[in-house]
Amino acid sequence: MSRVEKKAPSVCTDLPLNNAEVCAKLHLMKELLKSCYGPRGRLKHVRNNIGGRVTTSSASSVILPALYSSQPLLNLIKSSVLNHISRFSDCGLFAGVFCLSLLEQARRHELRESLAIKVNKHCLSLCTSYLQRDDCACRVKIDFSSSQNLMTLAGSIVSSKPACLLTEAEKLHISTMAVRAFLQTIPCSSPGPVTLGQTVTVTVRGLPVLDSAMFPGLLVEMHDDFNQTDSSSEPLRTVLFSTSLAGDLAELGDGTIEADPDLDTDLQILDQLLELGKQLVEDEVRLCVCQKVIHPVLQQYLRSHGVVVMERLGMALMEPLGMLSGTQPVATLHARIPSTAYGRVKNLSTKQFGNKTMLHLQPDGEAAVCTAVLCHRNETMLDELKVAWRKTEDVLRLTLKEPSALLGGGCTETHLSAYVKHKGQQEASETAAGLRCSPAEFLLGVKVFCRSLDMVARSLEHDGGSSAMDLNHAHHWTVSADAAGEDMAGGLGLCGCGLVENSSTEWTFLNTEYAEFCPAPLLGDSCRKPTVLDSFTAKVNALQVAVETANLALDVRYVIKDEN
Amino acid sequence: MQQSTLIKIVSALEAVVLRSFGPEGGQVLFTRDTGQAMLSRSGTCILSALHLEHPLARSVQIPLSVWKHSRGTGDGSKTFILLLASLLRGISKATSRGPSASNANGFTEAAKAAAAPYFANKLLKLASSDLDDLIAVNVVPYGFCVSLEDFTTHSGRLLLASFFHTRVSHVHCSYLSELTCELLNRWKYKSDLPYISFQFLSDNFPALHTPVSGFPVSSSRLIEGQVIHRDFATPCLPITPESSIVHFSAWTERSLESVIAELQSFGVSLLLSAVKQSDAAVALATQAHMSLVECVSEEELTLFVQLSGVTPVSRGCTIQLEHVAALSLCRPILLGTDFFVSKVNPCSLVICGPGEEQTDQYICAIRDAVCMLMTIWEPKHTSETTASCGTLQSEKGTASLDMTPTANKPYGLKKCVFEPGCVIPAGGTFEFLLSRALPNPSSDTNGLPSVSQLLANALLSVPRQIYSHSPKLFLQAQTRIMSLVQNPSNPFSFGLKESTPGPMVDLGLESVTCKYQLILAVVQCATSVLRVDTVLHTRTALHTQSKKHTIFSRASTEDEAED
Repeated sequence: MSRVEKKAPSVCTDLPLNNAEVCAKLHLMKELLKSCYGPRGRLKHVRNNIGGRVTTSSASSVILPALYSSQPLLNLIKSSVLNHISRFSDCGLFAGVFCLSLLEQARRHELRESLAIKVNKHCLSLCTSYLQRDDCACRVKIDFSSSQNLMTLAGSIVSSKPACLLTEAEKLHISTMAVRAFLQTIPCSSPGPVTLGQTVTVTVRGLPVLDSAMFPGLLVEMHDDFNQTDSSSEPLRTVLFSTSLAGDLAELGDGTIEADPDLDTDLQILDQLLELGKQLVEDEVRLCVCQKVIHPVLQQYLRSHGVVVMERLGMALMEPLGMLSGTQPVATLHARIPSTAYGRVKNLSTKQFGNKTMLHLQPDGEAAVCTAVLCHRNETMLDELKVAWRKTEDVLRLTLKEPSALLGGGCTETHLSAYVKHKGQQEASETAAGLRCSPAEFLLGVKVFCRSLDMVARSLEHDGGSSAMDLNHAHHWTVSADAAGEDMAGGLGLCGCGLVENSSTEWTFLNTEYAEFCPAPLLGDSCRKPTVLDSFTAKVNALQVAVETANLALDVRYVIKDEN
Repeated sequence: MQQSTLIKIVSALEAVVLRSFGPEGGQVLFTRDTGQAMLSRSGTCILSALHLEHPLARSVQIPLSVWKHSRGTGDGSKTFILLLASLLRGISKATSRGPSASNANGFTEAAKAAAAPYFANKLLKLASSDLDDLIAVNVVPYGFCVSLEDFTTHSGRLLLASFFHTRVSHVHCSYLSELTCELLNRWKYKSDLPYISFQFLSDNFPALHTPVSGFPVSSSRLIEGQVIHRDFATPCLPITPESSIVHFSAWTERSLESVIAELQSFGVSLLLSAVKQSDAAVALATQAHMSLVECVSEEELTLFVQLSGVTPVSRGCTIQLEHVAALSLCRPILLGTDFFVSKVNPCSLVICGPGEEQTDQYICAIRDAVCMLMTIWEPKHTSETTASCGTLQSEKGTASLDMTPTANKPYGLKKCVFEPGCVIPAGGTFEFLLSRALPNPSSDTNGLPSVSQLLANALLSVPRQIYSHSPKLFLQAQTRIMSLVQNPSNPFSFGLKESTPGPMVDLGLESVTCKYQLILAVVQCATSVLRVDTVLHTRTALHTQSKKHTIFSRASTEDEAED
């Protein structure tokens, strides 16, 4: 202890949600997240204070970690949303906007905190049980025998990242690739528990997006030249080392070796390595891959015997390569390599992408490993494309757990809002008694919840237009700024998700009062397919996380911040 | 030491704690100096997170946390501060009012300083000699004993639910208490004595729970088997039932191959290791079709050893059959590896929350709930008190009327006088009953208010805070309890029986033992702070070199002014 510093007293905030400064910060954060939401969301430049690289994005997974607030309450909300993203990838902005709207609306309507918590919880359970019901009108079953819905789902996610700056054709290309990669990684015929395969992504800067492609097998960047000596079509016997073959004694740790002064340890180890090389040649190995470095002498020896040598593969590619070739990584230098440790690769070839030369390893037979090469014109857009790609991949995988999707374009939100409002009105008196409040208070709480849901749907519009809901199916419609004054029945076209055509006659703007009604399900006339879909699993979890986080924030009565 | 300073300090602490006190209380959010956030409704957490500078504040903080941890009651720290604050205020008021009404200025400073320790000593005497009798006679008859057989029944659940009501957000209370009940029921078979199974749970809690952030609380659940919080170092191979397992503390043997071969001869297919294994060991294990889990934590291994009865291997050369355990199933789950040990049937708790802070909070709450139960069912230290709760009630039916605590001498001077598992409806019942029972002479010989009066007033401040949102409810509750006391023919109409849930039962239940110990602790703490007359600031060698930087600079300036 060289220096004793005086500890600064903690900063305390009593009843933070009644504090104007805290509320202003919450509002700011809501506006920020809102402006990023949806396919027409505004982009944000993220740059650190010492002039680092500029990132352009509208994705919550990029923006939220970059935000720093001195207000612990904001950090609490932020960390909840980030935790959700880390599990589900999707719907981070939805969770953030919904949570902050719940807080703001509760304050605006002067709802008691403890009551707001109870009503929010009740409304949430209404929503989740409705979404799980078979007759839920905003849920779409995903049929794996057709790629239609999967394509729509992937397309919606790619378009929700405007910072990728993709044209329609490029969006289609990327989402087709994503669905193909997803299908490729599901093993076809293996009994017992299924292990999903992997997609490895390689990014190439400077090429047009349409050059992006998907390959079965692995593409590995090459460090040195590769001369394809013979082109026999036989599969190559492969060995994979997970230990260094450079002749160092890395695993010794802090131990010491006692050796005879005349003994040359380096030579001894090299002899041992060459012994290993001899065994490989004897076992007719044609491809030798090492995670770490291979001693140049050993490399030379192996090459001279016609073995293709690849070193410095890196940890990330070890598992996919093991999956692809069926090898078991070898980590011993002294023991004899058992024949079961060897695997096979069907074919080796080189592929050229821009300035990158890559070695393509094709699987012998069916293997659930594939490589996606993503191309874009510059690095910022490429980064965003990678974010979108990873998110699409995760969301598509989530459909295996729960083969459903939710209508996108704000329609799920308005539909749920109308449903909750209707249900709340119907059961007002008995629920209010159960929650120990008056029916009027309960209905106010329901209103706060519905308004907040509507707010999320309204956040999709950024160009000055307004949002409307039809009073039949309760879907979401956007009215452009110039058409707002005119007769709305005339030119609204399709609803947000593209399922309902302009058939209803009654409308209401989303920020206005309307009489409650029971949203009608779409009857058999659904020859239309939805054009925008959201992940079911991610959205349901986001809904729950948002409500729980809002409830938590409402429950915080005192904030103590250690300033040290 | 000026009493006003003391009161100011304790009131400041009270102000923080009050926000999270009672059924309407909320959470307190902290940001530590590390930037880590923490959410809590636990009084100890709140107080220990504050950086208290004044030595007196620390002298309140420290006994509180010591009391909490040594008792392990996991309950009552907010009430501690409340009681302490109102007790000190009461004493200060009594000393400043003075014995004679004619003296408008009250005591002189010197007399005041002398009066406070006088009160303190009398209070301590009262609490340590008569308090347990008073409670046994006047409070216990209105409570009842929760039997441990019935954690599925109403009262067991109620006890847990009311505990969680003071610790987590209201909407999650019922879910968490259900989960905890389930957990307790699953572990109950382990031994017949409930105390031992609570002890086991509380000792092994770190190994028995898995925190998962990013999911709603309702995803929390129990999982069959023991969860090892490590991923497989080798790919998980499907393990058929009745396959074997060995676990290692260290691999000292150089010739790994021979070890692996030996393991194979025992039919081992899963290795648990406390330390990290070399790449070579991992690769060899893979080739031998064994799954390997490295870096298993000490707690988890201990629990595993207890559950399965194996002996850990510490030297590779001596692997025997006793090192091998049979598992019925092993599979990777969400975040770790799940084991089914076939001899016993354990289960682990997975606790989910949207953020880490919340998950931590739920974990703390459940852990403290187990602690609280442990205190309630702590076996009695003396075997003399054999009267069961039932007989107590019948005997004291009349005793509660005449209020003569001297008649019950056998209860005196014992560490724990109450039947294990004795509970009373929450919501101030205990405080109302005890404050009424305290002997109430209007003033003692010196014209000072009696200490029992002071204590009674302090006690009443607790229900006053519980019903702080509506004073009407406070009066209602008080009237209800008082009318019950006056009508002893039916002392059980609190709704203690499940068939007739009374008006009080929805407030939950609390333990009499915990309350009794709480009051003792408060009185002791108050006595010790009142007996302090001066704070001496010593300087360490470091401070003499740089006199500008003193840790307690603010406190010292105050006291220098005083001097």
